[in-house]
Amino acid sequence: MLDKPASALRIRERLIESERLMEESGCYDGITELHLRNQDPLKFETLHTKLRAYCVSAREMARRISASPGVREVGEMVVAIYTPEGDAIALSNGIMVHVHTMSRFIKWMIRNGYEENPQIRDGDIFANNDAFIGTVQVPDVMDVMPIFHSGRLVGWAGAVCHELEAGGITPGGDVALAQERFTEGLFVCAEKVGENDELRRDYVIRCERNLRMPIYWVLDEKAKVASCIDMRESVKALIDEIGLDYWMQVSKEFIEEGRRAQLARTRQLTVPGIYRGHTFYGHVTAGKPGYQPLGDPDWLYNIPIEMEITSDGKIRMDFEGTQPWGYHSMNCTPAGMDGGMFVTLTQHMNFEGLVNDGAWMATELKLPQGTWTNPDNEMVATATSWALLLPAYGVFQRLLSRSFIARGFVEEAFVGQVNSPMIEMGGESQYGTPFGMAHFECAAAGSGALAIKDGLDTAYVGWNPESDMGNIEIWEQNMPMLYIGRSVVPNSGGAGKYRGGCSFLSTWLVSKTDHLRLVTSEHSSRVFDNGGLCGGYPAPTCQKHRAVRDSNIFDLAENRAPLAHHTGTNPYRSELEVRLEGEHVTLEGPYITAPHKTGDVFTHSYNGGGGYGDVLERDPVKTAWDVENGFLTKEAAEGIFGIVLDEDEEGFPVANLEATKRHRAEMRAKRLARARPVSEWIAKERERVKEAGFAPEVRKMYASAIKLSPRFTKDFSAFWDVDAKSTFGVE
Amino acid sequence: MTSYSKEVIADLVAGTLPWPQTRRIMSAYKDDDRFFKYVAVLQDRVGWEDPILLPVGDHLFICQSGDERVTKCECGHSFGDYRKNWKLKAAIIVRDTEELLREIYPNSDLPDPDWMEIREFICPECGTLHEVEAAAPGYPIVHDFEPDLEGFYRDWLGKPLELPNKGG
Repeated sequence: MLDKPASALRIRERLIESERLMEESGCYDGITELHLRNQDPLKFETLHTKLRAYCVSAREMARRISASPGVREVGEMVVAIYTPEGDAIALSNGIMVHVHTMSRFIKWMIRNGYEENPQIRDGDIFANNDAFIGTVQVPDVMDVMPIFHSGRLVGWAGAVCHELEAGGITPGGDVALAQERFTEGLFVCAEKVGENDELRRDYVIRCERNLRMPIYWVLDEKAKVASCIDMRESVKALIDEIGLDYWMQVSKEFIEEGRRAQLARTRQLTVPGIYRGHTFYGHVTAGKPGYQPLGDPDWLYNIPIEMEITSDGKIRMDFEGTQPWGYHSMNCTPAGMDGGMFVTLTQHMNFEGLVNDGAWMATELKLPQGTWTNPDNEMVATATSWALLLPAYGVFQRLLSRSFIARGFVEEAFVGQVNSPMIEMGGESQYGTPFGMAHFECAAAGSGALAIKDGLDTAYVGWNPESDMGNIEIWEQNMPMLYIGRSVVPNSGGAGKYRGGCSFLSTWLVSKTDHLRLVTSEHSSRVFDNGGLCGGYPAPTCQKHRAVRDSNIFDLAENRAPLAHHTGTNPYRSELEVRLEGEHVTLEGPYITAPHKTGDVFTHSYNGGGGYGDVLERDPVKTAWDVENGFLTKEAAEGIFGIVLDEDEEGFPVANLEATKRHRAEMRAKRLARARPVSEWIAKERERVKEAGFAPEVRKMYASAIKLSPRFTKDFSAFWDVDAKSTFGVE
Repeated sequence: MTSYSKEVIADLVAGTLPWPQTRRIMSAYKDDDRFFKYVAVLQDRVGWEDPILLPVGDHLFICQSGDERVTKCECGHSFGDYRKNWKLKAAIIVRDTEELLREIYPNSDLPDPDWMEIREFICPECGTLHEVEAAAPGYPIVHDFEPDLEGFYRDWLGKPLELPNKGG
């Protein structure tokens, strides 16, 4: 057993040496030749597959220990095996985001002298949920355990679960109201939380006394420890079989192979060059209770991304020109930015499973200091960093997709992810006990379209590739609300030749509680935070919340009168207003308001994905099917897509191909008549730009970007032929 | 090595290949000879002779047009030198009022036109909608893609481009 600094010191030195070798040779840990792979490729591949199997099996076992529907139902978990220096060798399926964030956590402990104090020993359990050390947000709690063999540190086993309750200022995990670190919830900062394979009792007590629903966190801890022990024992048995020297070498070759494979895949699937895109996020909090006046209540963020694919196949992403960090919960650390990159890459380019930190090494992120992507203040909150991460990496997906289209791999082009506004809650449960929970049905939004087909309906989010909305019955067991509706939202996918996937909307009746606090996050309104591609439109912006307090729903039920099961398709008068009496509420942005009680009705709508291609090329027959099944309305089919639908004898929609052809010709002519040359538009718009004639939030956005980014200033000035600094009053 | 016939690639690009077959292609190792078959499929589709060098959109191509390399719409309309942003030579419709946004989003809450507008970039000849930008008012038009065309052909495809570009 290794328990003295004499050998532990070597880990830190080893890490520094490994990084030096990488810098000097360009190859991971100086591995310029894959000797073991060349010696016996079959043995090499079999071992990597075995490691992957250990991870997948450990995760599945752990999910059955967890009490959290987030982990059990939705699979909000990932596990991985690391080198002694903290580089991922193999990982399970699940929330891939954390493969590299855990790597950062391990390296942070090594760099910060954990070998000496608190020491790294066999059976130790270390936990972390501090994003500046290595995670994305407070609810992403990770546990790692060292793997020793023959008295030597030979690796780490790590596991992360997304907790449904983190004990912050608002209930749930994505603590929408947090404006600084100090209101985000329970922090565990690279802490030794267990020894001899057992969680410390004092740590468990701290969790029990600081969380609204400790059963989720504590049982998830046990699940993670079990999975780490399982992986550790499997690796030790494997080393017994193949020998320690072979293990130490092969684990590094796996990573170097992963790096080379990523570069090769980029060269195979894409085209070198510069790709650009942008998206936006709008945050509206003015007048909402609880927000401290630390910054502007309403703001607009721009997220421009420039992606370079170099001739050797490296992908570089540059966020220059984006906004500064702020007093809100949507900031992100470099670890979180890594996470977003990794989860996107694993879906788009490394979907065969044999992926590891080598893939990350074939990429590079440029995160300007002081922006939300790399805050120069470690007191900032990151509880809902996905709010900005998802739109940002949605842009990345579209940039990658353009490269796939250029290269001919159209089947891989995927307009991709959208934001997934989450509902969280706390207060008194239906059992009369305190509770808190994040509702994870948001893991089933509509995806963006593909370049060859429509997007996935209610079946995709970027942050969990195994998208699942969970069963209604399970969610109902865990919260004092009953579903009175869960429906596909018509026209919620972005329009295009291939439409984006549709979202869904849930309608609940608050039941058996006098105090239910409902909060939502990742809720960008006022702007589109997603986009289309090649002529496709963005999906609708995040929808407002609609609720009814003190509704007459029980009277209606008793009288067997119709209830409202969704909000309907009239944006000016919802079905709730048509069917229910009570105090009607329509609220934009994050839902922060007074507690609800039995008899209230609440709805929450998720987002659809962006479209692909020109709307006037959409297949009329497929569209008739969409209308029949509630994904599109007949009015949208005709008004947006130019598709005329008749009805058959039984009243089902049927495409009228001749009438469609005529209607589309008219629409195309109208489009041309309405359009004007871009040069003309620029000339006119320039006059507005010169006067900075924009809404205050838009002006503020420009001023902030100009202040932080010389490149944005130069590009803006050049495009409009103005002096950007003086236009927006930037010194 | 994985390889598919030109007909299969044509169906794949057109979105008409049966889903089980498409799914198998997605799951299989990629076909290294895809690019030139893809370009051949697209060349058959367009009604003009200029050789396509690189597709950059659903109906947009960089092609060799005489001595110049230009960005061209499928209808044959040229947007000029491929190194320049083709959008600046396009026609545009800007949706910056609730009424104009409502045409595309009939049933949902709308973004605030003071914060966000939609810009549709259209071929001035055939009316094809090539690209949609959702941007804050005043945001510069984005130049989506500047390919390293020479490097791609030389270093990745191993077939250097024969004619130098004389446009620009």
